[in-house]
Parts: sequence; C-alpha cells; structure tokens
Amino acid sequence: MTPYLALLLVPMPAMGAFLLLGLGPAQFERRAIQTIALLGAVAPAVVMLPLGAYCLTGTCDGVQPIFDLTVGDAVVALALMLDPLSAIVGVTVTLIGACVIGYSIDYMAKADVADLRRYFALMNLFLASMLCMVLAGDSIVFFLGWELMGLCSFFLIAYHVTSPRAIAAGRKAFVITRVADAFLLAGLLLLFIEAGNVRLDVLIPAGIATEEVRRGLIAFLLLGGALGKSAQLPFHTWLPSAMAGPTPVSALLHSATMVAAGAYLLARFAPIMESVPLAMAVTAVMGAATALFGAASAVFQKDIKRLLAYSSISQIGFMLLALGLGQPEVAIAHFVVHAIFKSLLFLAAGDITQIARGTTDISAMRGALWSRPLAYLAFVAGAASLAGIPLITAGWFSKEAILSAAWLAGPFGVVLWGVALASAVLTATYAFRPVFTGLTRIGRPKASLGGLFTNLPILFLAAGTFAVAPLVEPIMNFLGAEMPHGPKAVELVGAAAPFIGLGLAAALTFVPTLSMRVARARRMRSGIRIDSIYQVIFVQPFVGLVRWLNGEKGGIADPVGTLPILGAERLAAAVIRPFAHDPVDRGWAGFSAGMVRAWGAGRRMQSGRVRDYVLALGLGLAAFLLIAWGTTWR
Amino acid sequence: MSGAAIFAVWAGAVALVAMALAVTRPNVVHALIWVVAGLLSLASGFFALGAGFAGAVQILIYAGAIIAVFVFVVMTIDSGPAAMAAERARLATGWKGPLALVLLVLAPAVLGLAGAGGAGGAPQPVPARDLGVLLFGPWAVAVELASAMLIAALLGARHLARREGGE
Amino acid sequence: MTSGFLIAALVLATGLFLVGLFGLLIRRGVLFQIVSLEVMLTGPALAFVAAGAHHGDPGGQGMFVFVLVLAASEVALGLALYLRLSRHADTTDSDTVRELRQ
Repeated sequence: MTPYLALLLVPMPAMGAFLLLGLGPAQFERRAIQTIALLGAVAPAVVMLPLGAYCLTGTCDGVQPIFDLTVGDAVVALALMLDPLSAIVGVTVTLIGACVIGYSIDYMAKADVADLRRYFALMNLFLASMLCMVLAGDSIVFFLGWELMGLCSFFLIAYHVTSPRAIAAGRKAFVITRVADAFLLAGLLLLFIEAGNVRLDVLIPAGIATEEVRRGLIAFLLLGGALGKSAQLPFHTWLPSAMAGPTPVSALLHSATMVAAGAYLLARFAPIMESVPLAMAVTAVMGAATALFGAASAVFQKDIKRLLAYSSISQIGFMLLALGLGQPEVAIAHFVVHAIFKSLLFLAAGDITQIARGTTDISAMRGALWSRPLAYLAFVAGAASLAGIPLITAGWFSKEAILSAAWLAGPFGVVLWGVALASAVLTATYAFRPVFTGLTRIGRPKASLGGLFTNLPILFLAAGTFAVAPLVEPIMNFLGAEMPHGPKAVELVGAAAPFIGLGLAAALTFVPTLSMRVARARRMRSGIRIDSIYQVIFVQPFVGLVRWLNGEKGGIADPVGTLPILGAERLAAAVIRPFAHDPVDRGWAGFSAGMVRAWGAGRRMQSGRVRDYVLALGLGLAAFLLIAWGTTWR
Repeated sequence: MSGAAIFAVWAGAVALVAMALAVTRPNVVHALIWVVAGLLSLASGFFALGAGFAGAVQILIYAGAIIAVFVFVVMTIDSGPAAMAAERARLATGWKGPLALVLLVLAPAVLGLAGAGGAGGAPQPVPARDLGVLLFGPWAVAVELASAMLIAALLGARHLARREGGE
Repeated sequence: MTSGFLIAALVLATGLFLVGLFGLLIRRGVLFQIVSLEVMLTGPALAFVAAGAHHGDPGGQGMFVFVLVLAASEVALGLALYLRLSRHADTTDSDTVRELRQ
C-alpha cells in the first residue's frame, strides 16, 4: 500500500461534489449546496498537503496506476504520478481552488438555487479535472483533464445564460482552445505512436529518441496546444472576452490555474521541447512578444477584469519565455507566484466592485481604500507582487529569475531580456493604475467589511504573496534547478523597472491629459484589434458558409446532405429509369404474350380436320419407328 | 419357308394391293368391294397359316357383317356422277405429301424388321379349341369387357343415328 | 428368305396399316376415311395372327377377335356419326365440317 494511493483521493472529493451537485437527483437547499461545494474544494487540499510534504522528504517519483487497457500490441496504462512538478502544482491548485470556492460562497450568495447549484457543480468539476491533469501519469488522463477544463471553462464563462455576450464569449473561448487542443492531441498521438505506451515516463524518453523531423513536429504541436490554452499570441483573443463570467471563475480558471496549464504542459514535456532548439526559440520569442503585447494592452484597459486578463496573458508570456530559455523550473516557480497574486487580485477586485453595484470599470475602484479597506489593501499587495516590488514580494523573485535567465542566454537572450524588461515596466504601470484610482476619493464612502468567506481567502492569499517570497528559490531547487542570477548590474536594472512603472502609473492616473489619452486609445485597448481581424478572417466566412449551407442567402439548404440525394436522383434517371419498364420484366411479359400467341397458333392445330390429326399421328408414328429402328443399330 | 408360308405371304401381298386400290377409288362402292377382296385374301392367308378360326371369323364377320353394314349405309347416300367427279378431283391433288409420309414410316419399319432375322420356322397351326380354352379361360374377363364395348357401341350408334323428333 | 414368314407377314402388316393411313390422309370424304380406318385395322390383325401362328400361341387369334370387336364398334359408331352429319350439314367433306354440334 504505497502512499501514492492517496493520489487517487485528491481529485475524488471535487469529482464527488460535482456528481452530487450536477447529476444528483435530489433537491438541495442553498446551505447544502454550499457545504457540499466547500467540502469538495477543501478536501483535495487536505489530501494534497500531506502528499506534498511526503514528496519533500525524498522519494518523490511515484506512479499510481489506475488500470491498464491492452489494445493489440500497445498497452494503454492509465496512471497518476507524483513527482516534484506535480506536487508543487498540485498543492498550488488545491489551495487556490479551496480559496476561490470558499470566496464564491459569499460572492454568489445572491444567485438563486438552481444557478448556484450549476455554478458549484461546474467549479468542482473544474477543480477535479485540473487535478487530474496535474497529477496525470499518462497522456490520456492528462488530455482528459485538459479537455474537461476547457469544457468547464465554456460553461462557466457562459454562466449568465441570459447574456448573449457571455454565451458568445464562452463559445469563442471553447472554439479557440479547441483548435489548439487539436494540435495537442496530434502531438500526444504522435508520441504514442513512437512509444507504444501512454505513460509519461515512457513517452518522454521515446519522444527524445525519435528522429529529428518528427520530434520537431511533436514539439511544435505541443507548443501549439500550450499557446491556445494559455491564451498566448496568436490564440489570446478569448481571454479578455472570457471576463464575462463571474469574478471567481475568472479568478480560478482564467488567471491562476487553467490558463497556466499551457505552461505546465511545456514544463512536463520539457525534455522533448529542449531537444528541439527551434521550438525552444519559438517558445521564447512568442513568450516575450506576448508578455510585451499583453502588458501594453493592459495599460489601456478601462475595465478592471479585462486589465487583469491581459495581465494574465502577459504573465504567462513570461512563463513561456522562461520555458523557451530552458528553465522550466523558473517558469513553474513563477506559475506558483502568479497563481497566488492573480487570484488575489481578482478576488479583491471582485469584492470592491460588488460595492459599486457590479460594474467592473476601473472607476469602481475609486475610494476603495475607504469603502473596502481590507480588500483594497489586499489588492495593493497583489499589485505589488505583480509589479515585482523587490525583495518583499514573491513576484520579484520569480520575475527576476526570468530576467536573469534571459540575460544569461546569450546575445539573442539579451534582446529577450530587453523585451521582458519593458514588459515588467508596463506590468507595474497597469498594476498600479487601479491602486492609484482607489486612492482618489469621491464623497465620504463608508467603510465596510465583506463576509467571512470573502475575507478569509483574501487574507490567506495576501499573506501568501509575502510568505512565498523566500520560498521561491527553494521551490526551484526542489524542482531540480538553481535560481539563475545575472550580473548585479542587470539585477539592479530589473529592480528599478517596477518603480519606473509605478511612476508611469501615477502619471497616467493623476495627469489629466495623459489619462485622457489613455481613455481614448481604443486600438490599444482592443489589443491592436487582433480580435477584429480574426473576426473578419475566420469567423465571418465561417458563419457565412454555415448560413449558405443552411439555405439562407441563396445556397442550397444542406448541400452536403442534398448532393448525395441529387446524385442518386441523377443516377436513377440515367441508369434505373431506362430499366423502369424493366427489360427483364418486359421480357417476361413478352414471353408470356408470346406464349399466348403460340397457343393461339397452336390452337390452329385443332383444325377439326381429321386428316390433319391423322397427319400428326402419322408423323409421330414415323418418328417412333425411326427411333425404334435406331435402337437396333449397334 | 414352307409352302403354306409362301402362300400366306402371297395372299398378304394380294391383300395389300387390293387395299391400296380400295383407298384410291372415287366411288365408295368400288372401294368397299376392293376392301372385301382384300379381306378375303387375308382370310385365305390365315387359313394357310393354320389359323382356321381367324380366317373363318374374318370372312363371316369382318367381310360379311361389318362391310355389309357399310354397304347398307352407303346405299342411303347419293353417290351420283357429280359426287364422283368431285372425289376424283380431290384425289388428283395432294397425294404426294401423304405418300412421302407413308414411305417415311415404312422405311424404318421394313429396315428394322429386315435386320431382325431369325424368325425361321414353319407356321404352326393353332386349333380352334385352344383358342376357345384361352378365350373362356384366362381371357374371359377381356371377352366380357369386349362385349360391354359392343353394347356401348350399339347404343351409341342407335342414339347418334336417330332421327330428331318431327323430322 | 431364311428368316421365315413372320418377317414378311409383319412387313405386309405394316404395309396394310400404312395404306390405310395413306387413304386417311388423302381422302376428304368422311365415308372414305372410315373405309381407310378399316383398312388400317387389318394391319395389326394380320400381325397378330401371323405371330400367333409363328409361336403356336392361340393368343394371336384371341387378339384378332378383339381387333374384330373393335372394328365392329368403330364402324357402327362411325357410320352413325356419318348419317347424322349427312343430315345436318351440306357437305360431308371432313375438312369443312368442323363441328359436330350442327
């Protein structure tokens, strides 16, 4: 009985909560729903923490098989795995999940019971599937978790089913991530073909051993899958729209965990990626470009949630940059840190905007210091970590590691370092814009405190951003790498970056002309209109095609369906109709008619003339005699 | 072949010729007379073969009764020169086909018979008494059936030949 | 002919039969056809008697008796039909007289 058996128990509570809430036939009251959901969210954390601790003690390379399927020569061995990577990410996910679902109890308090039940069921399913993916020991469980996460994302973004905007956003997210998932699936299948087994510990060595072209193909396919799920360029357009979902959804899925799944994918398959230098280069470049693009777009956002969404895009770009530089441990460390402060930011912002009657405009932050001090201060803590305020926040350590890794990666790395540095400056800018907006006061706001379930998670996470700071390096060491340190000068420049950004933020907030220019920068706000470009290139032709196939706008309704029918009709006319009067049938009819004629002719034999009959008899007699005579021949 | 056999064959040949003539006369009565001639020669042949009863019966019944009936009926019809001319006309045409057919039948029969051979021996006379024993013994049922047929023929002829009422 | 009289008799019997057949084929008058039938009957009669003489078997003559019975019945009925025909039809041509119903 290995301790790894407990791995199976980690996703189970969440899955159980989903089954109960989502599919259970009984009616639940509000309190019951909330209890079940909370249990389903907290229990995995409770199981995971000891497992993580066990992992710390040493042997942390265990595989817990689930079951095996033998398909011909190949063995499909499903399993869960516990190694440093999955332990770290698993602990992070379970803790953040527990925090967010606990927070949802207060946040969603006003929803009616049916919607609440749906919400919590889906959140628990998401948690279960993310844990499946994180703890997966084989590519099938991995992909299963991946896909289920995408499905939950769709349902949760479109949680407000009465809002067409939400449904459209959910659909966009699902379609874009689905396209990327196709790449991932192709990559995993190619690996399976190479390896003949689905276990990750067999797939990865087999992947490294394949010949170069195929290995490169696999690496790029995996990269494509990661880019889509993590909302990186060019697949990023779904994430800002996905903010149409409730804030806890954004906190859990679209900031902390799901979007970082791409980074986890690349970290897990890092050995394969590292063996294809071209893929690594592309990853690093895409990561840096996305980081800059995301940060730049975030500066100009008017809506807090969209700002935080672009921020996620940018931060995951940083993670991909680290992965592309061959430092998956640094990327995972940043993943952990990002999960903490991003979810904190969302939860705090959600609490503050609830006061402002639910609008998520940045102006809702006004006077937050006074109206919701706890949440506001937590927000400040998160923003500080996001900006990477040196030495006290965890964000500083991980970001500095990434910058150093970039600097140390040769001349091309210096270019990347420059890009990352610019992104860091912009990061601090957009991070503190809401903070400074919160300092502006309108009227005399009354201070209020949120509910227990609101404040506990926020406090916990806020403490986490500071508490994890000294843990960043140990995390990296635990994952098996040293924290990279560039030259001191480079580090100092990196330390200065957040403050420059801070200054910029203050300027943009308080200097009217600048703030007006920001307000009017529509193209930057819409992310250089990439979304609109996609709409024109991909969506509109597709919708037009669908309409045409449906028969609107002058097409034949369902040509794919009617073409075979038309073809069949034409075939019938050409081949079958000539036979419709069925020559064979006609032949038979003619035969029978001919028989009638023959019989008519035969009746003439019955002439009534004796001599004719005699003639016939005589002929018959002649024949018989001839035969008889013939028999005497010998 | 013994003398009796030769005579029997000769008588048969004569009968054949007589019959051939019989069927080709335009006058019915002439035809009938020739038939009688043939029957009588056949009867003589039977006698030569030692089948005395058969010969006697042939003369008495076949030539004497059956052909006599024929003659009675013929007497009731009008067989004037016009009728005879018509018959002659009919006879002139259309004899080739039937002749061919007859020869066609005759050829295999004769050839087959000729090839048979081994039918040697003189004719053995069969006394009438043996015939009587046969007819009243094993063939008694057949005789009864034959008499039944005669009765049927009698009644049928009576019915078919009756005059309709009021004629 | 070493083969004896039977073959000759049978040939003659065939000849008689065929003569009758010939007559039946070429004559159109019903009466003549009945006469031809009689001629035909003498064929088998001769055959039977000759065979009986050859084997010394009275069965030959017995059969001849039956042939005679047959000839008598047939003549009676044939002539009766002829009388009926001659009363009701204009001609006694067997070719044109097709139906006995008249």
